[in-house]
Amino acid sequence: MAIAPLIVEIKGNSLDDGPGIRSVVFFKGCPLSCDWCHNPEGKELHVELAFDAGACVHAGACVKACEAGALDAGRVDRERCTRCMLCVEVCPSGALRTVGRQATLAEILRVAERYKPFYRTSGGGVTVSGGEPTLHMEFLGELLSALKALGVHTLLETCGQFSLESYLARVDPYVDQVYFDIKILDDEAHRRHCGSSNARTLANFRALHVRSVAGGTPVLARIALIPERTATAENLEAAARFLRDCGASRVALLDYNPLWHAKAVKLGGTPCFARSSWLTPEERARARAYFADFEVV
Amino acid sequence: MESYGANIGATLLLRFMALSYNHRPSLRRYLYGVDGPLDLTIGVRTETGSVAQKIRFRDGKARVLGASHNDTDATLVFQDNSVIRQMLTAPPSELLLLLLKGRMRMEGNLGHLSLFNYLLSVLIDKTRLRPLPVPPKNGASSQARPVPNEPTPKSVAHRPPSQRVARLTTGRVDDVRWLDEPFLARYTLADFPRLARFLAEHFDTVPELCSERPLLLTRYFRQHGFEHDSQGHPHVPVLRQAQAVAHLLAHKVPIIRDGDLLAGTTTACPVGVVLYPDAHALMIWGELGSVSGRALNPYRVTQETAELLHHEVFPFWLHRSFREWVRHRHGQPLCQQLDERFAVYFSWKTVALSHTVPDFPRLLRLGTTGLTAEIDEELARLKGDDEKRHTLTAMRLSLEGLVAYARNLAAQARREAVKVASPERSAELVDIARLCEQVPQYPARTLHEALQSIWLGWIALHMENTNAGLSLGRLDQWLQPYFDADMALLATPAERTAYVQRAIELVGCFYLRCADHLPLVPDIGNYLFGGSSSDQAITLGGVTPDGKNGVNDMTYVLLKVTELLRLRDPNVNARHNLAHNSDDYLRRLCEVNLVTAATPSMHGDESVMRSLGQHGYAASEVRDWSATGCVEPTLSGSHMGHTGSTMFNLVAPLEMALDDGRHPLMRWSVGPRTGAPERGVLPTFEDFYAAYEAQLAFLTHQAVTYNNLLGEAHAQLRPTPLLSSLLRGPLRKGRDVTRGGAEHNTSGVACIGLADVVDSLQAIRILVYEQRICDFAELKAALRDDFVGHDVLLAHIERRVAKFGSGDQAALDLANRVARRVHDGFAARANFRGGKYTTGFWSMSNHVAFGGLTGALPSGRRAGKAFTPGLTPSPRATDNLLDNLRDVASLDPTSMDNNIAFNIKFMPAASTPDDDGHARAVDQMHAYVKTYFELGGMQMQLNVVSSAMLRDAMAHPECYRDLLVRISGYNAYFVTLNPEMQIELIERAEYQ
Repeated sequence: MAIAPLIVEIKGNSLDDGPGIRSVVFFKGCPLSCDWCHNPEGKELHVELAFDAGACVHAGACVKACEAGALDAGRVDRERCTRCMLCVEVCPSGALRTVGRQATLAEILRVAERYKPFYRTSGGGVTVSGGEPTLHMEFLGELLSALKALGVHTLLETCGQFSLESYLARVDPYVDQVYFDIKILDDEAHRRHCGSSNARTLANFRALHVRSVAGGTPVLARIALIPERTATAENLEAAARFLRDCGASRVALLDYNPLWHAKAVKLGGTPCFARSSWLTPEERARARAYFADFEVV
Repeated sequence: MESYGANIGATLLLRFMALSYNHRPSLRRYLYGVDGPLDLTIGVRTETGSVAQKIRFRDGKARVLGASHNDTDATLVFQDNSVIRQMLTAPPSELLLLLLKGRMRMEGNLGHLSLFNYLLSVLIDKTRLRPLPVPPKNGASSQARPVPNEPTPKSVAHRPPSQRVARLTTGRVDDVRWLDEPFLARYTLADFPRLARFLAEHFDTVPELCSERPLLLTRYFRQHGFEHDSQGHPHVPVLRQAQAVAHLLAHKVPIIRDGDLLAGTTTACPVGVVLYPDAHALMIWGELGSVSGRALNPYRVTQETAELLHHEVFPFWLHRSFREWVRHRHGQPLCQQLDERFAVYFSWKTVALSHTVPDFPRLLRLGTTGLTAEIDEELARLKGDDEKRHTLTAMRLSLEGLVAYARNLAAQARREAVKVASPERSAELVDIARLCEQVPQYPARTLHEALQSIWLGWIALHMENTNAGLSLGRLDQWLQPYFDADMALLATPAERTAYVQRAIELVGCFYLRCADHLPLVPDIGNYLFGGSSSDQAITLGGVTPDGKNGVNDMTYVLLKVTELLRLRDPNVNARHNLAHNSDDYLRRLCEVNLVTAATPSMHGDESVMRSLGQHGYAASEVRDWSATGCVEPTLSGSHMGHTGSTMFNLVAPLEMALDDGRHPLMRWSVGPRTGAPERGVLPTFEDFYAAYEAQLAFLTHQAVTYNNLLGEAHAQLRPTPLLSSLLRGPLRKGRDVTRGGAEHNTSGVACIGLADVVDSLQAIRILVYEQRICDFAELKAALRDDFVGHDVLLAHIERRVAKFGSGDQAALDLANRVARRVHDGFAARANFRGGKYTTGFWSMSNHVAFGGLTGALPSGRRAGKAFTPGLTPSPRATDNLLDNLRDVASLDPTSMDNNIAFNIKFMPAASTPDDDGHARAVDQMHAYVKTYFELGGMQMQLNVVSSAMLRDAMAHPECYRDLLVRISGYNAYFVTLNPEMQIELIERAEYQ
């Protein structure tokens, strides 16, 4: 059995991550590092310390507990912090929190078992998301195969940065639906904003799409509309061209969500990308226009 | 020095009052009723004894007396001098708050206190008794009120639910025989101009205090005697009541509303408040001068009505209400004193004994002629048995009254038919005359006749019984045969299509007729039961008595009307039977809920029937259950379940267990001495739990005792012969319903605050006994300080204490344990009618009122805040709706045989009004509701409104006067609620 990787959380009830009522497992760790990442807690592979200044009741127990002297009233010195997490154990309010814990296969299956009646009536199931679930290909394969054995519908959300061979061998047989993120088509810009080349992503999408047309696992391309990043005229046009070229006729366009800022700040990060408002209806309509010949979901 | 000041202040006020009444003739006339002077003595004192004064009105003279006289009719008792000073300076609305915060209380005859309040109000502002200007309708005039938290969005940004245009359709499903598209998606309100007009009137008309019933009744009794007849013989109560009801019905003004298809009205006003001086109407006495201008739910009252009520009606009933009968007979027992503090339980039996469902199918099938023939047969066989003879004779008499009223209406319709200009209306009036000549005297043959018959029976029942929770039953089952008969006569599809539209219109008229009356709500009731209507429950769907699919054409017609009108009352309840009813039906229920925002309330049929299983009822009767009042199941037509007898505060025994039997807000050591836990006398959690159970048992005993005494009062003062003739049982048993004549007799209790109790017990178990984070002394200090300065403890409660509804097994087990204990405590007791008590976990709006009288709780709930509605888990339990649904569904229905109210505030993720968004939203709701039922859930009610919209409605009530919300068991228009209730709704957990 594969070693259980870290997860950020298991969200019991989601209506936004696939059909029906779903539970979502957010894995920790991602090969990309997009500068707008909406789930910053899923970026790093290791455990992290989150601090929510607004929730702090100034009990002071953490300051006493910290052996590294990294805590002061209402502040975390990230340089000094050794992530020993002693402070979290004594924090009464939950303002200090460990991000990342090991979830065993059995635990995730218990959750699925618990909510299965809701999946059944709604046509829902379990979604694996992240972070990037395929970083843990062996565990993922075991998990999804166990879920299928329970009769649960499975959905993979991926950024597409994985070994196709490994994916096809270990995971694909147990996936009912793939949601595949397409980000920036220009490789140079992709490297700059997402931290690595997009070549493998695009090749993987093409391959999975070909297989899906031939009766393989259905794949849906998703584009998060990030102002100044993915939602530029050139990029949307290029994305539409790429998808057309692959033969795809459906695409999901996701709205930018500014709430990620707060999450990033709690982890000690300073978001470099600082748009704080939602998309306007005009921006949304403009983006959709590039996909006029697609079924936009 | 200070107490001296307060005493002087009180003396001066009373002296001024006496002087004014003695020397101003314009005032002095208020000291006389038609039977002579109104005598009363009212005391004013403080708990500390610092103030003790009295004013006596006798033979038209007023005098202030010293403290020595000990014969007051009633006394106002204040906590201390500061409260007296507040009273002397504050407006009347603030006085109410003193009462609701436990800082002032009333002792003695409440009718006399009402009279005293009225005399005070006349003195202070006599001008208010001039003909009153019509106050603007609900909310329209309200100043923008402060709204909690966030800024309000612009109201124009919102799309009220009524404007959703998309509708689902379906093919023929369930036991549908005639409707090709049962969802009836093609119809909108625009297709029914008559209904649209009535609906506008419903929202535009200010309800008015109607003097018709109290005046007819009082004059009748004044002439024929109440306790004794004119020869001085004691009256037989049931005969006395039958004669009075027959008199009332025969002399009631026959009114056919302009343009209506059904004849008859409950009151003589367009929208009337029915007054029951034999029950609680005297509570409005003190407000006669101010009720038209009160902030919440004002009533119109003409000067003539006010004068009649004051001089002629109310004085007659000062000692003849249920409450005062108990006070007089039983010397104001402890159980009554507790009730009148509002903090631990509240008895509805002082107001009504009417939570039941009449046997309308029998009236429709036999007519009163058939019912009377059965009575006559029984009478002919009868030997001896005075009670039976009296009861049957009384039933017969009251049915005659019903027929007399129908005849008067028929004659009125014929008179108007001749006079009216429009030939169409004239034809309608001739039809109405024929209807009233046929029913209810003879069997109904058509849908129109059936509706008219039920409506006349309904009016008549309301002349006898208080309009609180009397319920209409399974109208889809009962009307379907008449719809079938009508449709079978039609030859072409076009005729049938036209008739479906006609059926919707007829049922729509019926719904709007049911909305023609309101219960009397004194201002304190605005805080205790804000925005409640009469709660006339209609039940749809489920299974037939022989176990087949009960969803039929009329189910869908009634659902369409529910969707079109979006009324708070009738209170529509829908049963969903997993084994027999279709998924399309459940989808349709969800759709109607989505469109109306708050109705119908949905019931898991199998689980509700399981809860009834313990009583040994026949299977066919269990399958025939109807919701009664709010949500409570009773067996249709044979069961006096008085399911709303008592509202019981489950949190009060917890506060008392924490304080050695003393209730903190009442400042009263009234419960058993279970020990002060901070002294270490309760070493284990089980010891503390036992203390809770002991306090619970004490309050249970008191609540039951009071309810039973009031049951006796009903039997003596106001038997119900008409209701007896319309229920199964009294004919055979020869006993009135108030004395246990119905086939089945139970009393239902609504237990309030289960989630708050469980979360508090969890906190005590985990923090005090298991993890030893704090001891009782620290916990009680935090409670006393309302957690101010105890942030760390509060944080521990938030983080370490798994709450009910979070999916935590221990919390769920504890909830089941408490519910079982509560149920068994009540179930062990018998009521006055010889039946058992049942327990439900719903709250009307008493979770707000009781919460207001409760200090901070170990659960982290702050002082004065509302409890959760019904048994809904706290919003702090989890943000995962699925755990909420699973936990509530996992409660044992057999502990909850008076049903539950589980509220969910739900905003569909895709609430766009286009077809896709609409269908998706319905699918989501359907998935939650269906799974909840599959898991064993009994009842749930969804509010499809966002907190943002409610905040906006608070700030701009004029834009939202028809915004319907579900409280706990009943519907209300949001703008009619008091601010505390509005905030409670806003703060409920919101799920997507």
